[in-house]
Amino acid sequence: MNVQHRNNVQVHSEGQATMLFAHGFGCDQTMWRFIAPAFHDCYKVVTFDLVGSGGSDNNAYDRQKYASLQGHADDLLEIIDTVASGPVIFVGHSVSATIGLLASIRAPQRFAAQVMIGPSPCYINDSDYFGGFSHADIDDLLDTMDSNYLGWSSSMAPVIMGAPDHPALRVELEKRFCLNDPDIARHFAKVTFLSDHRADVALSLTTTLILQSSDDLIAPVQVGEFMHRNMPGSELLIIDNVGHCPHMSAPGPSSEAIGNFLSRLPG
Amino acid sequence: MTEGTLPSPDLLYEQAACGLLATTASGIILRVNATLCRWLNYNCDDLLGRKVEDLFAMGGKVFHQTHCMPLLQIQGSVAEVQLDLLQQDGTRLPMLINIVRRHHGNMTVDEFAMFMATDRRSYERELLVARRSAEAALDARLDAEAQLHRINQQLSLDDRRKNEFLATLAHELRNPLAPMRNVIESLKHQFPGASPHARTLGVLERQLSHLTHLVEDLMETSRITQGLLELRCQRIDLTGVVQSALDDSQCLFRDAGHTIEVDLPDVAVLISADAMRLVQVVSNLLTNAAKYTPRGGHIRLCLRQQDADAIISVHDNGIGIPAEALSSIFDIFSQLAPALERSQGGLGIGLALVRGLVALHGGSIEATSAGVGMGSEFVVRLPLAAPLTSAPAVTTQAALESGVRPCRILVIDDNTDSAESMLMVLELFGHQGRTAPDGNTGLQVAADFMPQMVLLDIGLPDINGYEVARRIRAAPWGHGMFIIAATGWGQATDKQLAQDAGCDAHLTKPIDFTKLQALIQQLPG
Repeated sequence: MNVQHRNNVQVHSEGQATMLFAHGFGCDQTMWRFIAPAFHDCYKVVTFDLVGSGGSDNNAYDRQKYASLQGHADDLLEIIDTVASGPVIFVGHSVSATIGLLASIRAPQRFAAQVMIGPSPCYINDSDYFGGFSHADIDDLLDTMDSNYLGWSSSMAPVIMGAPDHPALRVELEKRFCLNDPDIARHFAKVTFLSDHRADVALSLTTTLILQSSDDLIAPVQVGEFMHRNMPGSELLIIDNVGHCPHMSAPGPSSEAIGNFLSRLPG
Repeated sequence: MTEGTLPSPDLLYEQAACGLLATTASGIILRVNATLCRWLNYNCDDLLGRKVEDLFAMGGKVFHQTHCMPLLQIQGSVAEVQLDLLQQDGTRLPMLINIVRRHHGNMTVDEFAMFMATDRRSYERELLVARRSAEAALDARLDAEAQLHRINQQLSLDDRRKNEFLATLAHELRNPLAPMRNVIESLKHQFPGASPHARTLGVLERQLSHLTHLVEDLMETSRITQGLLELRCQRIDLTGVVQSALDDSQCLFRDAGHTIEVDLPDVAVLISADAMRLVQVVSNLLTNAAKYTPRGGHIRLCLRQQDADAIISVHDNGIGIPAEALSSIFDIFSQLAPALERSQGGLGIGLALVRGLVALHGGSIEATSAGVGMGSEFVVRLPLAAPLTSAPAVTTQAALESGVRPCRILVIDDNTDSAESMLMVLELFGHQGRTAPDGNTGLQVAADFMPQMVLLDIGLPDINGYEVARRIRAAPWGHGMFIIAATGWGQATDKQLAQDAGCDAHLTKPIDFTKLQALIQQLPG
């Protein structure tokens, strides 16, 4: 099995230390294009797609293996072995922050540090814990994904309407961003939003930056605080941003925060 | 018609045939048209300044965040997204949404166009349901096929086991029959002519003969099924076969009061065949005819040539065969089904054996009947032998008749009943016999008794028969002894092993005394 093909691994620059970026639910590695270039000069920057997303090998999507996020975490460790000989700096968005968490518990020696953007160890409210969602909300999400089924399969992405301010995008018209197989996306949504890794949070000993949006529906500030509280050696930075993707909507402040964090790492 | 005035762009925006909405990049509603407000049952002012996500149900909110927002960031537009919008009272309104992100100076604006999609949504849901049920049906079919495959495999395994069981059963059943027959032979010989035991012996002999036939039919049928039966084909005249079978069945017809009409050709009907097997075929058909025809019936046996075939037909005016049974009548166990018929039907082995034997000869058999009570006819077709000028056909009876010449015979067999009863018969026919229960004893007796013939069982408790044969051959006194290997199965490999070990002949157990006698007569005087 070829890990590079399976996970559509892309190396963007060369450097002594490796920064590995993992996208979240609903998109693919394209989402890193606003922030990753800031690190091209100093690091070997590597991006990839989770199996079942973007340009990964969908044939490798084994519902047994990926019935839990551990399946993706195992893939992540294989990718690290493929692209880096030493420990890496891992940047994970949303569900990939959890995937990184699981991988760092299993193989702490492979992680120099991790940056978690909008992480959530558990999306569903549970007595005192506030995850932001009820079970009914998740059912509604799965139903919404079903509704977009037909739209997705044909024209979700390729129709670029005008985009007058993005002439460069015209060149990329043929490329389909974040076009995910609907069946896999639904399965992945279920696995993601029903996952509960609160007990794992305290087990990761890797130096961690939690990058939290000030207004994020998917990962509310309370969740970021929960992570920080339970994670030894973590720091929490709340970035002024509306939405779940500060690395896209606020790339400047995000890369600055990450740069600061990395500069303070020993060695 | 007077020239009209186009409404102002603002009015066109407000009254557009779709819902229009503009937000900041973070989703704050900057403007919304009257059409959308009307659909959602809101006052325009109530919506300004609120987040567009507030109009979505939770699934829509998440979808917007995780799918639409990144796409707007990357490619500046999203097309044909289907989300439910919430009316003021919470009622859901299915919408088809396009979004374009534009930059006006420093300001980034996301422009939404929304279309009612209630019907489209229902239609798509129907398609979705149809697709799911098609997938479920496909899954069910694949499951069923997999299960069928498993069942088939199990069935062929069961079938093979059944055949093996039948073969073993028949073999085991046959073993006790030989000593019983030997005892009857010796009793008959001791009380020749009218004796107080004549009737008893007659019953025993007939029943034993019947039992032997059943067991042999069963064994041979299973050997045919397993591909183990070998034919000893010679060029023969089929007339002799038919005549021989007829002779065997005469008393059956006489006892049942049937009349039999025989139609044989004047010329020889030459085929390449195993005469004994074909006698079995014709005998079986005649026996069936006699059995399934009420007393005083009429049976016609006919042999003729037609084109390149020899045709044997047996016709009766008996109970007939129902149409639905014609196709399965040659299958083994075919008569097991109707319990009522079992009293006279037997196991249905006979016809299965007949078909198997005919097929081994490259021929075919067919049953016809006009129905129940209308009699039946069995027609066997066998390919004629190619014409040949020399080598006259062997007559069926040739080797059977012969006189008796006394001879010293050693029987080595661990089945004492078998050995003793064989000895009894041999002695009755004037031979001198000894027995030995195992290989080593056999070798000692042989050295001492110096038999002309050794009848050697292969499965012995100490050393096997092949080894005994080798040691006899190796001994200075054993060169001239005529050694006969007796094995249960009579397969080609057994014969080869026997020959390699130095045996002169091979007989299948239980030993057919007539064959043994024939071999004895061949011994050099």
